[in-house]
Amino acid sequence: MAVLQVKNLKKYFGKTKAVDDISFEINKGEIVGLLGPNGAGKTTTSQMLLGTLTPTAGEIFYFGEKFSDKNREILHKVNFSSAYIDLPWLLTVKENLNIYARLYEVKNRDKRIKKLLQEFEVWHLRKKAMSKLSAGQKTRVLLTKAFINYPRLLILDEPTASLDPEIAVKVRQFLVKQQKEYEVAMLFTSHNLMEVQGLCDRIIFLNKGKIIAHDTPLGLIRKLKKAKIEMIISQGKEVLEKYLKDRKIEFSWKKGKVFFSLDEKIIPKVLYQLSDQKVRYEEIEILRPTLEDFFLEIVKKT
Amino acid sequence: MNFNRVLAVIVRHFYTFKHNLNRLSDSFYWPAMDIILWGLTSQYIQKAGGEVSNLILVLLSGLVFWQIIWRGQYEISVNLLDELWNRNLVNLFSTPLTVNEWIMALILLGVIKMIGAIGFSILLVWLLYSVNLFTFGWLLIPFFISLLIVGWWAGLIVGGLLLRFGQRIETIAWSGVFLLAPFSAIYYPVSSLPSWAQKIAQIIPSSYIFEGMREVVQKGQISYINLTASFLLNLIYIALAYFFFKWCFKKSKEKGLARLE
Repeated sequence: MAVLQVKNLKKYFGKTKAVDDISFEINKGEIVGLLGPNGAGKTTTSQMLLGTLTPTAGEIFYFGEKFSDKNREILHKVNFSSAYIDLPWLLTVKENLNIYARLYEVKNRDKRIKKLLQEFEVWHLRKKAMSKLSAGQKTRVLLTKAFINYPRLLILDEPTASLDPEIAVKVRQFLVKQQKEYEVAMLFTSHNLMEVQGLCDRIIFLNKGKIIAHDTPLGLIRKLKKAKIEMIISQGKEVLEKYLKDRKIEFSWKKGKVFFSLDEKIIPKVLYQLSDQKVRYEEIEILRPTLEDFFLEIVKKT
Repeated sequence: MNFNRVLAVIVRHFYTFKHNLNRLSDSFYWPAMDIILWGLTSQYIQKAGGEVSNLILVLLSGLVFWQIIWRGQYEISVNLLDELWNRNLVNLFSTPLTVNEWIMALILLGVIKMIGAIGFSILLVWLLYSVNLFTFGWLLIPFFISLLIVGWWAGLIVGGLLLRFGQRIETIAWSGVFLLAPFSAIYYPVSSLPSWAQKIAQIIPSSYIFEGMREVVQKGQISYINLTASFLLNLIYIALAYFFFKWCFKKSKEKGLARLE
């Protein structure tokens, strides 16, 4: 069953089409990445999903119910965290969480707050004012707030930004645990493409307000057929250059290495032909395309 | 001393002055307000001479009771600003919290804090000037309530404008309600205002409240006409202000609450 269904969602600011007719679904327990360059419409989409921005057109359904009709009931089961928001600075961590636990009508508030603060390893900061926390500590407190109401869907806008790698790994592990144990669905935006690749079941690519790609991380990468090849040539540089030029393959030299891209399927054939023409190499590295390559490629194209 | 750098610092603050309504209001709005309010009060005292009975009580009660309006307004608008300063508005309104619940919370908070603040002011007036504002006891209570309602609708209008235009007009959270002050006849009767200002005073509930309160203080009797007029006008204003606030919230959501933070 779809936890979230977005149908033909649009948001126009005057003539600017911030979000232009997008539709997608998120199923129970699924982590979906929302990626795109700056200004692609990710935050606009998140804000509409949270009800803090009114769509120009389109519909949002949570748990089969229309968001505009059952706004309050739905928001009891949804939460979010973003690197771009704060909690009142003068209040302590615990005071802030207590407020949000009350707003979501959480039972056994103290117990829930303690459990989450311990999970995110910030229990010792409970009496500290938000203004005294480092960026990484603040991010973890915001994540605690995001989980306070046992959400069934979480909207996470760069949740691991400003975390050091060790804590970021722990946070990712916690998210995966929540996904597996409680089937929490998540819509996840991040600029850390490695993180998205490792965490998300599906990825939606937005650019200029439109969905330009939608697939599993592997599915997206497979759409890029070309692999990058780096070689240190010990013999036959001229022969190699002629070979590549004849086949209109772009190449460049840097620090004694030649760089070019090839369709993965023809790599063995090319290497055989080069060897046959007495081209010898000391070192070869074949880099398979990553999500980052896909990201750069697709942004370049659009 | 490098005067290019001195000029750079001056230009830096001049730019802020140009863009920031707070600085403009500090320079022009407050001096103008003080001149109008205290000028009219002085004129009234000079004209009335010794005819005004309980003059100190009239002035001090005006000063203290104006606090009720100001506090009522302040609690709504400054607490809204506080959420903007803390970048907490999106957090709040992505929870099941409704706008009506939020308004109710701020109104109740305002009442609690107002009781404390007014109690403190009354005590201070008694300690410093030996003037007991409770001399007229319960007769003033209905006027207190009416004053509080003025504060609420003023707060809702100011809050609505803050939601619409954001922090760049934050100064109205403190200064907005003072636009009512000269026409509210806090320290002087409406009749001492210029005729054009009297017309404005007639459509403002606070003028009827302060006129009524002065009658209580000076004559020891309650003016039911002033009290009724203030409540009737308040009823209209609070309804309009509520719908204005809700409209501004709706409009603000069309542009996104996040843009305000």
